[in-house]
Amino acid sequence: MIPLLRYQFALLIGSHRWLPPALLYAAFVAIGIRAGDPVLDGYGYAAAPLLPVAVWLVRACVTGEPPAARACTAAAAGPGRAHLAAVLTAALATTVLGALGTGFVALVSDPHSADHRTVVPMGPAALAGALTALSCVLLGTAAGALANRPVLRSAGWAVPTGALAALLLLVTAASPANAAVSGLVTGSAHGTVTIPWLPLGAAALIAAAAVTAACTLSSRRT
Amino acid sequence: MKLHKVGRRYGLRGPWVLRDVDLEVPRASLLRIEGTNGSGKSTLLRLFAGIDAPSTGRVTGRPRAAYVPERFPAALPFTALEYLGHLGCVHGLRGAAPARRATEWLERFGAAGHARTPLAELSKGTSQKVAVVQALLAEPELLVLDEAWTGLDGTARGTLDRAVAERVAAGGTVVFVDHDPARLAGAADACYRLVDAGLRPYDAHPYAARATPGPCVTVVAQGPPGAVPPPGLPGAPVTVPGPDGTTRLTVPAAHSDTLLHALLTARPPWHIHAVAPESAHSADPAHPAQTAPRPDTP
Repeated sequence: MIPLLRYQFALLIGSHRWLPPALLYAAFVAIGIRAGDPVLDGYGYAAAPLLPVAVWLVRACVTGEPPAARACTAAAAGPGRAHLAAVLTAALATTVLGALGTGFVALVSDPHSADHRTVVPMGPAALAGALTALSCVLLGTAAGALANRPVLRSAGWAVPTGALAALLLLVTAASPANAAVSGLVTGSAHGTVTIPWLPLGAAALIAAAAVTAACTLSSRRT
Repeated sequence: MKLHKVGRRYGLRGPWVLRDVDLEVPRASLLRIEGTNGSGKSTLLRLFAGIDAPSTGRVTGRPRAAYVPERFPAALPFTALEYLGHLGCVHGLRGAAPARRATEWLERFGAAGHARTPLAELSKGTSQKVAVVQALLAEPELLVLDEAWTGLDGTARGTLDRAVAERVAAGGTVVFVDHDPARLAGAADACYRLVDAGLRPYDAHPYAARATPGPCVTVVAQGPPGAVPPPGLPGAPVTVPGPDGTTRLTVPAAHSDTLLHALLTARPPWHIHAVAPESAHSADPAHPAQTAPRPDTP
């Protein structure tokens, strides 16, 4: 798996397809988070955009190889493992972006509640922020895995479906990503930190199921 | 490796491209698949290579595989050597082995000068050489060639023929499709034709011989007194006893190197008197000049 991940990372970096989603995320964080803003709001703001960014990066990774090269990789490693490496590469790249965004929030934000009266403990707040970001990465990876090859093969379906899935996962109350982000924002209003263990667990289960389904399909729908 | 009642169709209601294909592929063998355009040759090869899973039935005992597509327009952000290094690692090679073997194979195919050229700038033929090297450098147990000769120059085609013979001699299995009936003519252990989504065995020798006889090479060798040629020689040579205890062995040209290797490394080793090219028609003892060593032949 390590050689496949190295290959996929080199492919993602060398093709520069990581640049548009990374620049979009950087712009979003730079515009949305100011020095002295309440820390929990900042973590929510850094986590939410990771979901569409993960969907985008999964698309960049699973469509990164031309079909002929993909066939060569699939014969060498098995199509399921090759597909898993592409999806994992996207998830890891999004996690790196999330770590940068969350770190930026930790550096510049004010460790107080939204009304700047209650002190928010930095350690638990950082943990809640990191786990919320991870939940968004996992759900975005799940949406990206199901909205692209091998499930949806035409770009005409894949791109709108991925965008719609990202939007719905952010705004629907039942979504673990929405639960984790709103936990941060409502906690910020009262100065309490909610660690999103349950949303993270749900996101991990959904991501595992979605990625398994996509990898199983990769040898059946070509 | 075995295919059990394998069927494949694209989509849930698509027509069957392959249906009820049963096949046992022995080790150390060369298989030729024939068929008209759209008969499902590429689909079958993708099943062999494990790129696609069958819709019905199953494939068991697939060894470590490598695949060469017909065209390799790889718009990848790597140089040829970087790509081959990555693929060598994916194939399971470690350390300096991928780069070393990639360089050796590129040299054999006359593409060493393009090792540091970005893949996107390579010509069609050189891209195809990279695709072939990608598959050969890992010494796969199963090599699947989907018209891999397309786009290669004459010299590279010959090199690929010999590389195929080497894989088979080393115990590997090679499955190939090519529209040239003379491709590895006489060297294939079995030929199959795809008709109506099914696989039919057929004898390719008369067909291939009628189309264009493949070039042959005759080796005049001498073993220890009274010895017969070792069994299982590459290319299944036609052996004829010669004068003074020598033996004449005739094989398809692609197998000549592996045959010489097998004779020279046999225990006890055989002595090589002469090696000469010979057309398949003129294996005629009335023309002894045909078997004489020629100064212009290595």
